[in-house]
Amino acid sequence: MKLLIIEDETKTASFLQRGFSEAGFVATVAADGLEGMHQIETAAFDLIVLDIMLPGMDGLQLLSWMRARGLQTPVLILTARDAVSDRVRGLEVGADDYLVKPFAFSELLARVRTILRRPPLRESSILKVGDLELDIAAHRVTRSGHRLDLTAKEFSLLSLLVRRAGEVLTRTFIAESVWDIHSGGDTNVVDVSVRRLRSKVDDPFAEKLLRTVRGVGYVLEAPEHR
Amino acid sequence: MSSKPPSIAEKQPHAWSSLAVRLTAWYTTASFLLVAAATLLLYVDLADNLRRISEQSLIDELNVCRALVLERGGDSHALHEEVEIDSAVRRYQKFYVRVLDRSGTALSTTPGMDQDLTARRVAEAAATHSGVFWIDSPRGAPYRAIVATVPRDAAGKETWTLQTAVDLTQEQIILGRQRWWVALVLGAALLVCPGVGFLIAHRGIRPLREVAETAQHIGSSTLNERIRVDGYPVEVRTLANAFNAMLERLEEAFARLSRFSADIAHELRTPVNNIRGEAEVALARVRTPEEYAEVLSSCLEETVRLSELIESLLFLARSESPGDHLKRAREDLGALLASLRDYYDAACAEVGVTLEVETGANLYASADKALLQRALGNLVSNALAHCSKGDRIRLSAAREGARVRIEVRDSGSGIPADALPRVFDRFYRADPARSRDAGGAGLGLAIVRQIVFLHGGTVEIASQPDRGTVVSVVLPLSEEQDLT
Repeated sequence: MKLLIIEDETKTASFLQRGFSEAGFVATVAADGLEGMHQIETAAFDLIVLDIMLPGMDGLQLLSWMRARGLQTPVLILTARDAVSDRVRGLEVGADDYLVKPFAFSELLARVRTILRRPPLRESSILKVGDLELDIAAHRVTRSGHRLDLTAKEFSLLSLLVRRAGEVLTRTFIAESVWDIHSGGDTNVVDVSVRRLRSKVDDPFAEKLLRTVRGVGYVLEAPEHR
Repeated sequence: MSSKPPSIAEKQPHAWSSLAVRLTAWYTTASFLLVAAATLLLYVDLADNLRRISEQSLIDELNVCRALVLERGGDSHALHEEVEIDSAVRRYQKFYVRVLDRSGTALSTTPGMDQDLTARRVAEAAATHSGVFWIDSPRGAPYRAIVATVPRDAAGKETWTLQTAVDLTQEQIILGRQRWWVALVLGAALLVCPGVGFLIAHRGIRPLREVAETAQHIGSSTLNERIRVDGYPVEVRTLANAFNAMLERLEEAFARLSRFSADIAHELRTPVNNIRGEAEVALARVRTPEEYAEVLSSCLEETVRLSELIESLLFLARSESPGDHLKRAREDLGALLASLRDYYDAACAEVGVTLEVETGANLYASADKALLQRALGNLVSNALAHCSKGDRIRLSAAREGARVRIEVRDSGSGIPADALPRVFDRFYRADPARSRDAGGAGLGLAIVRQIVFLHGGTVEIASQPDRGTVVSVVLPLSEEQDLT
């Protein structure tokens, strides 16, 4: 997957490039709007990460230019100003998603993956991570053949983690996906829910699948992948 | 803050910008016009009266002569006596009479009349006037005159002409003196009115000046000073009261602002200090990758805390500046409360707290979903923080006229009465012992108030220690609601 990062702040651009490369993307960096235009014209990208505040030509102008030329490459906007009007304008001009600085890199990664996954692949009804098995259609979870008794929300939470197995999911992302809570406020609540889920899914078993990534969020993965 | 702000008067030293100057000008103009109108009216009235008197007298004289001509016929002796002697001896109001026959020959003339008014001169003037007319002598002496034709006998075959004139010199002297008085009074008024006007204006606005002087002394360090109110007229007292009220608010805002800055600095200092210290210690010698990972994780946690604090502060700062519009939509409050219940369900169950939702059907508010979720979420978090095992939290929404009341009611430990008025203040924590980890930065309720304010609603809090707390958010209902 090829990614273009248009960002003038060198440190930010550098950690984005490193982070995306390590996540398996091929990331190119453009330091301003004009260079970004040049890159877009000369190469094809699967997704563009676009900073709004750029010298010369700002991100929204660049985005309008792209959309006016009929380029439908997905764009994720990064902004330091989270005024509602800015976000609304970004989405109106044709951005696919936005993220407000400061953000967690894993949040950005999750959103990028979400965009690139659209439209969703027809996923099989049965998902597996290690010895954990999820039957989405039947709402049934088993681990090592033992049936686990989960509440509806616990099941949604687990299926999100299983679908995104191997990805670190932030608390904000989890709150949005499972409970439709977009407040970004009190995310301690997510910790409690994860802890309760963990007590059913992991605690009775020797092998731990659900891992806390300090300062970031949670990831579900089979131990052999670590 | 220490430099004295330049006043408007100092920037534009234009005379008209002074209230005293304006008031003086208005007083002067008004009183001068009044005096001028009065004196002019008196003068005009006097002149009119004098004219009427001289005219009446002239007509009287004419009538006397006419009667003499008509009744006495040819008694020229009586006529002569009247024309040449009676008229001549008068000193104050001198009358002149000339009797002419048909051919224009003067039969009788008051002595001295020919000097100023020849028969010809009078006849020429009479030709263009009727009744009493004004006539000047060649040397400029003023007269009023009337000419009449009188039949000598009842048959009226022969007619004589009577030229009658009255000397107006005395009248002109009286009017001249009157004009001089008028000028004197007006001149005096011109001198006195501005002076008196200025004194009145000066006295009138003295309280204003005193208020301004007091105000000038008040700086950022002396915001506790107030303007003395008693002894001033009502208008100024109103101004001073308003000013004092403004000072009160300023002082409060100022105090809150400095407390706020200090709080921000304090809240930022702790995480920054942790990051700095941990990084410094970690770099002091070579460590194992696990140790580095531990330090980095810890730093990351601190930056997350910083980010959240910055986000909250920015939100509060932004929500106070107008123009930032909400992303409003018609939100189903029942669904919104239900999603909050789902979200907080696990957290409540963990502590042993029951969380219930009770809403009426079809309750919609025009709201920014994310913000309203955040406000109500903060309230639930807050309620949960005050609850212990066995307590219950109830979320309810009910219609109240054109508004909807959303209540978050808990049966927790409650908030002391003296803390209630301040719980919506930024960085205020009702229980100072509550650590930051448990209670956040103390911005939660401030954010709630700001969000509700942005939605045009109100928020109230009531609490009883050991009985629980109720927070009510009242929002306007969505407009479409009223149609259904």
